[in-house]
Parts: sequence; structure tokens; C-alpha cells
Amino acid sequence: MFPRHYIKLAEGLPPRLTRFFARYPPQAILPPKEQEAAAQAPSPFKPHKHPVTGKWHNPVFSLRRQAELVKLARQHGVEELLPHTVKGTEERIRRRVENGLRVKGTGVGQRVKGKESERMLKARLEKRRQAMLEMPKMIQTWKERGHGRGWKKWPK
Amino acid sequence: MAKKAKSRTIAVRLVSMALTGYYKTMIRPRTHRPLSMLKYDPVVRKKVLFLEQKRGGR
Repeated sequence: MFPRHYIKLAEGLPPRLTRFFARYPPQAILPPKEQEAAAQAPSPFKPHKHPVTGKWHNPVFSLRRQAELVKLARQHGVEELLPHTVKGTEERIRRRVENGLRVKGTGVGQRVKGKESERMLKARLEKRRQAMLEMPKMIQTWKERGHGRGWKKWPK
Repeated sequence: MAKKAKSRTIAVRLVSMALTGYYKTMIRPRTHRPLSMLKYDPVVRKKVLFLEQKRGGR
């Protein structure tokens, strides 16, 4: 039957997880003969079409219960034995990378738009810095031209 | 109707040449030459040159 370490692992799991794995044995630990049958069985985490009536049925486990199972399995380090679910860690990380936080523009390769003043801040400070570098020269010419008597370039 | 007489003095705006947007408003006689002076700009925290802004069309 099963190798000893699988049995030991199963004994350490909470009953909720052992019941789940008994009902839906993960493909990874099944003997090769039964693997094909397991691969064709519908995932309990996905909606499935009835083969006879052609009607769609809800997943056996609701999204809330899927999330609870994933959380429990993660605590016990057996998450990869669960069938694929949108509540899984991988899927969550992928979604976080794609979308970032709920704030628009926080994903990978995206930018937060920001206020107009925030976008122009750098340019404004740079302009001010340049003006301050020019200031001693400007004051010098201003003094030479009689403190503004001969000044031509008045600001608009 | 007779036009109202222009006042002898005008209020002018002296803008900081540090381009901080800071300005001071002063009053000078209309016939005086434009004002310019060294004044403290609190944004850059230094004395900088203030020049009178050209008037008209605000």
C-alpha cells in the first residue's frame, strides 16, 4: 500500500485534512495504476459539467471552504497535495504581482499616477536648484548695473 | 463723464528670482523706476534677488 512516511504524515494532519485526502487522494501519492482514473475525476475545487444532463454544477467545496483547506494545509506543509485552486498561495502571489495592492498602479511594471504636483515636484526642485546656482552671478550683475537702474530683463 | 484720476502710487509685486513662487507686494510711486532688492526667501532660506514683475494684463 502506501509507504510508511505517508502514513506518518497523515497521522499528523488534522481530521479535516485527512478526510479530504481520503475522499480526494492526491495524484502524487497514488500508485501508477490508479493515477489515470484520478486524473479524469473532476476537481472538487472547480465547477463541473454533468456528463449526462450537460448542466453545470457548483464546486463541491465553496471558495470559503477552499480557502480554509488551503490555510490548514499550508500550516501542515502539505499544500502542494491539494488540487489546484484560486485560493492557493501560488495563485495569490501571481495575482499580487499582476495587480499589486488594491491601489491602481502598484503591480510589477506599473506606476502610481499621483497628483499633478507630485509628478512635477522633481522638475520644480531642479529648476529652483539651477536658479540658486545662478544667484551669486545674478546678484553681482545686479550690483554692477546700479542696483536695478540698468536692468532690462524684468520677470513676467 | 470725466475719467477717474489715476492714483499717485501703485502696488507692485516683487517675485523671488529663486523661482520659488514666493513674492512680496510693495507700493511705489507710479513714476518711479521698477523696484528690485535683496530680500529673504523663506522657501530656500536665503537672501535672494527680488525683481518687480512686469505689470498689465493680470
